[in-house]
Amino acid sequence: MKIKWNLQKGCLATLAAYIVLAAFFYWIGGEQLRTRVDIDESISPSASVGEILSDTVLEQPFYAHCDRLTDFSVFAGTFGRSNGGILSVDLYVQDPQGGKELAEHFSVDMAQIQDSDWLNLRLTQPLENAIGRSFLLEISSKDSSLGNAVTLYYGSSIAAGRVEVKSADWIPLRINGQPLEGTLCLEVTGVTDLWFGHYYWYIFTGLGVLLALYCWRLCLLQKKGKVCLGLKLLAAFSRYRFLIHQLVSRDFKTKYKRSVLGVLWSFLNPLLTMLVQYVVFSTIFKSDIPNFPVYLLTGIVLFNFFSEACGMGITSILGNASLITKVYVPKYIYPVTRVISSGINLLLSLLPLLLVILFTHTPVRPAILLLPFSLACLLCFCIGMVLILSSLMVFFRDTQFLWNVLSMIWLYVTPIFYPEIIIPAQFMTIYKMNPMYHFIRFARTVVIDGISPEPKAYLICLIFAVGGLVIGGLVFRKVQDKFVLFI
Amino acid sequence: MIEVKNVSMCFHMSPDRIQSLKEYLVTLAKRKLKYKEFWALENVSFSVRPGEVLGIIGRNGAGKSTVLKVISGILKPTEGSVSVRGNIVPMLELGSGFDFDLTGRENVYLNGAILGYSQRFLDEKYDEIVDFSELGEFIGMPIRNYSSGMMMRLAFSIATVVNPEILIVDEILAVGDEAFQRKSRKRMLELMSGGTTVLFVSHDLEQIRQMCDRVLWLDHGQVKMIGETKEVCDAYQI
Repeated sequence: MKIKWNLQKGCLATLAAYIVLAAFFYWIGGEQLRTRVDIDESISPSASVGEILSDTVLEQPFYAHCDRLTDFSVFAGTFGRSNGGILSVDLYVQDPQGGKELAEHFSVDMAQIQDSDWLNLRLTQPLENAIGRSFLLEISSKDSSLGNAVTLYYGSSIAAGRVEVKSADWIPLRINGQPLEGTLCLEVTGVTDLWFGHYYWYIFTGLGVLLALYCWRLCLLQKKGKVCLGLKLLAAFSRYRFLIHQLVSRDFKTKYKRSVLGVLWSFLNPLLTMLVQYVVFSTIFKSDIPNFPVYLLTGIVLFNFFSEACGMGITSILGNASLITKVYVPKYIYPVTRVISSGINLLLSLLPLLLVILFTHTPVRPAILLLPFSLACLLCFCIGMVLILSSLMVFFRDTQFLWNVLSMIWLYVTPIFYPEIIIPAQFMTIYKMNPMYHFIRFARTVVIDGISPEPKAYLICLIFAVGGLVIGGLVFRKVQDKFVLFI
Repeated sequence: MIEVKNVSMCFHMSPDRIQSLKEYLVTLAKRKLKYKEFWALENVSFSVRPGEVLGIIGRNGAGKSTVLKVISGILKPTEGSVSVRGNIVPMLELGSGFDFDLTGRENVYLNGAILGYSQRFLDEKYDEIVDFSELGEFIGMPIRNYSSGMMMRLAFSIATVVNPEILIVDEILAVGDEAFQRKSRKRMLELMSGGTTVLFVSHDLEQIRQMCDRVLWLDHGQVKMIGETKEVCDAYQI
């Protein structure tokens, strides 16, 4: 009777929590849920077009890849002097028949232009329905004279990591009607509407109804005395909660039992690692990542958790062999508690992260509240990994040594202390298969940029988390009966 | 209460245990990955009624411990099925869940949780456990400082504080000095006669005759005989 009442109360609490969280999420996620900012990266500047004189007309057609065009930048040079005159930039919308219509006219005082820097031009009104349409940029200057004019840069290759790759689909820049071997260095920024934000409340209602139906089904099944997966999980959780609690507190107590600084090591460890890597990578290797300490520490904290959980969890079945062969406890308890123990360590090591955030004056925005999402996904993924590793370990003791090598490789293929842009573009697809990359990127967007990532990032994290958990669970379930025979 | 149906348990015995990937691949390549099968249990069926004390006798290696492990869920039978209603407390080996860096008190809770006790139950019985173990103030010390006798006393006290529905006993445990041995034997007998279902493995036929309602005789993994205590014991002793 008591459990029945508890289940109904639990279901109501879950539904209420869902509504509150969903509304809260809409508020925090804000603009990032509804729209995405697209930046069409520019060609690397390699040559200048020469001084833009009164008889020069630059024409650069381009296509937009976003719904609304908001601004664009060109790469300008001043020859290291201050110039006079007006640079006029006209943005035309071209129609297929060959006609063109002026969208906006910009007059830029050449004296304001910085040398070797981007000149950003923002449209007064975002240009709607831009996607797939062809635009034309016409740049000229009526009153400039030789030795008193600016220039713009063009090129034909894009930077991909350390190498330059020829850009594939470019439309040549025309100077006085003559095409050049390259395109203008032009960075187009626009906004794309996302269906997720558009239909957010429909999705919210749909999922809510599904959740309510499932809760209703659980209650109904329980009333009839039947079992299903959800009920079994709940029963297992309430039954083994005390055991998990005891095992986790054992892990925690024995970890620092005979060390002088004790639990302080949970704070010190990531902090010291960060300090060493910060010194190494900001002085010996120059890195130009903005807010490098926070960038580094976010990566370290998350990856440390991952490698600690897997490193400790790999022996979780073997280490408890004496228990497994004598007392019946569901075997997944041991790997799962190991990961939870590391999870508590992770929570503790968030404190130094917070300190560094405050210390570096990183603005703290509400989006930081989305960090638990990334951590929860990481936790699920780790549980999946540990389930697989610990069961492999039972059959092959080599797993431990293989894993040592593998986790080192994993460390280097995750952007922890280097920026991801140094990865060559052709490897990016493979590179993005690394789940850690997505979890860490999510955390960094939330912490450093203070905004919610795009909806796709949530989906990717969720897929990796659930996928890892399900695969790990299935593997574990298949082999767990053989454990006793091998340990 | 306990229903064991056609249970067979097969162990694969390879001449040398393969524990590394290299060995596995090498033997696989040589096509020598052959196991010798060993049937520890063959087609064992019996049932135990609620409140019954069932004795299990047999020679060494007859499969007595394997039966207990199959019933308590540690081993999964190769064939057949076991259905058990009620919570099982296995008393197979004492103190296997102890952590030597923790204090006696912490170990009471840890070991209790492993045996499946609830927090409320342990809170209630904590004083009783400490009293019975006669550890006194040592309970607050890490148990790596305990003598082996102290450890066994604590383990015994935790394991026997329960009132389980099904109790699995592999030999009556008597630990500690003579006084404690007498005390612990008395505790065991109390537990076993207290209306719980007991599965009792022993080589001491006198004890079996005294305690059990029925006896199961296992021989080379097969049921040789099951029935009234006197009958089976007499047959076994010949």
